[in-house]
Amino acid sequence: MPHYPFVAIPSYIHIYQGVKTAQLNGDKIADYLRAVLKAEIDVRPEFFSFYLSPYSDEEKDNLLNTTAIQIAKLKIRDVTKKDILSEPLQGEIDYEKRNLAKSIDRTFGIVYEGFNLQQVHLGLIPEEENNLKHLHIIVTNQLFATWDRNNHRCHARVSIYGFPSIISTTGVVEAPAKPRDFYLKRQLGQDPNRLKEEYKGSFIDYGDPRMTDVLKGYVAQALFYHLVGYPFCEDKNCRLFNAHRQSELLHAQLHSPYEFCSKHQAVLNKLKDI
Amino acid sequence: MEKKITFSKVSEKDVTRAIVSEFTQQFSEYVESDVIIVGGGPSGLMAGRELAGKGLKVLIIERNNYLGGGFWIGGYLMNKVTVRAPAQEILSELQIPYKEFMEGLYVADGPHACSKLIAAACDAGIKIANMTIFEDLVLREENRLAGVVVNWTPVGALPREITCVDPVALETKIVIDSTGHDACVVKKLEERGFIKTSGYGAMWVEQSEDLVVEHTGEAHPGLIVIGMAVSTTFALPRMGPTFGAMLLSGKKGAEIVLEKLNRK
Repeated sequence: MPHYPFVAIPSYIHIYQGVKTAQLNGDKIADYLRAVLKAEIDVRPEFFSFYLSPYSDEEKDNLLNTTAIQIAKLKIRDVTKKDILSEPLQGEIDYEKRNLAKSIDRTFGIVYEGFNLQQVHLGLIPEEENNLKHLHIIVTNQLFATWDRNNHRCHARVSIYGFPSIISTTGVVEAPAKPRDFYLKRQLGQDPNRLKEEYKGSFIDYGDPRMTDVLKGYVAQALFYHLVGYPFCEDKNCRLFNAHRQSELLHAQLHSPYEFCSKHQAVLNKLKDI
Repeated sequence: MEKKITFSKVSEKDVTRAIVSEFTQQFSEYVESDVIIVGGGPSGLMAGRELAGKGLKVLIIERNNYLGGGFWIGGYLMNKVTVRAPAQEILSELQIPYKEFMEGLYVADGPHACSKLIAAACDAGIKIANMTIFEDLVLREENRLAGVVVNWTPVGALPREITCVDPVALETKIVIDSTGHDACVVKKLEERGFIKTSGYGAMWVEQSEDLVVEHTGEAHPGLIVIGMAVSTTFALPRMGPTFGAMLLSGKKGAEIVLEKLNRK
């Protein structure tokens, strides 16, 4: 069994809930983490609204402007191009500003470069929480992608782990591949809504009641990244399995005979002894 | 007994005179307007209806002989058009018959829906320059868009040496680009180096409609972008054969124009 030295054990875990409660129950996710780790865990409102709310209207407007420009620059316009940074149009900045001002359920559909997006979030975390005693997990409905150097295109991601970690509910729906026949039939012009009905249950969809249970595994991956520096596991039954297909995601997160493989369970057991 | 229909006596010259005098009178009047809408598809017609209904002087420039753009046909040459909720409210408002195909998805007869929308826009008071193609921009101080340069559509279809016909310019307070994926006005601004677009992304029906309405707005001083031109301007995902966003984007574009002209 490989030895996992701890990188950092968080004393505080902050979950930012940017998706409405009907789809996602942040309290249930917090309870799930409480069962595996002794830490103060709180569920906060959507990330940007949480950090911008203390400011005066004028300061907030300035911060919204600055952040909107930063985010608008990260919009992926061509998935085959590695260098995505561009000068946004004023209309794109205005859209981001309006969207940032929404406290929950922001409009989604634009794809952003994930690592730079993580940096934009980091820039707003105050100094007192900007250390490894704090684990920030941002749940958002915004979609992000990262460049894949193997096939030279950007791929949508469910999560970006680090400081902070970002998990996308839209990514859960869109990033792992749906059944092959679903795409073939769609390419042949079949109605997407009918196809969704035909393949119902075989993938996570928008408003899926299984989203909370699925996200427990992704939050666990964020925790493991913080704890030992690596979020994934090769065991298809482990919550930490890096699923590339919806079938793998559903199995690892909902139908597996156990939560964690023995080596990752051992890490959690060891943690309880500290 | 069947009544005999007898048309009143007029000569050919009278017919010609009626056409010429009415056309020139209207054209002369609309050389200057409150709003010029380039593109007479569903979003342009919707915006035109809203604006003319508020008493604004609105001219729609349409390169084809017919208005309505793609609204006649729903996709794959099948003449049923779909809208997703809440856009069925606009169908109700325009008294277009429709039925609920499934929860949140409504279907209407394309020709009926399109002709009702055209009629609603005309009834509201829009004027139309059809077979008229947008050629260039009229720019004023700080490159504010202040009008468009137009020509007859057929002129462009003939060799230059035969039809060296200069275009004419029309002045206005606000231009609306509703030319669909071509985004002709925006592209002309891009040619001049005032704006940079990236084209539209892959089709993502579920999100593209929301994004088109969200991004509807001013793309350059004096220019409002609506409909699928929004998608091209802001590199949004392509939309499938569904029209709700066109109608709602047109409505939102009109609200923005009214705000800009302090007419709300």
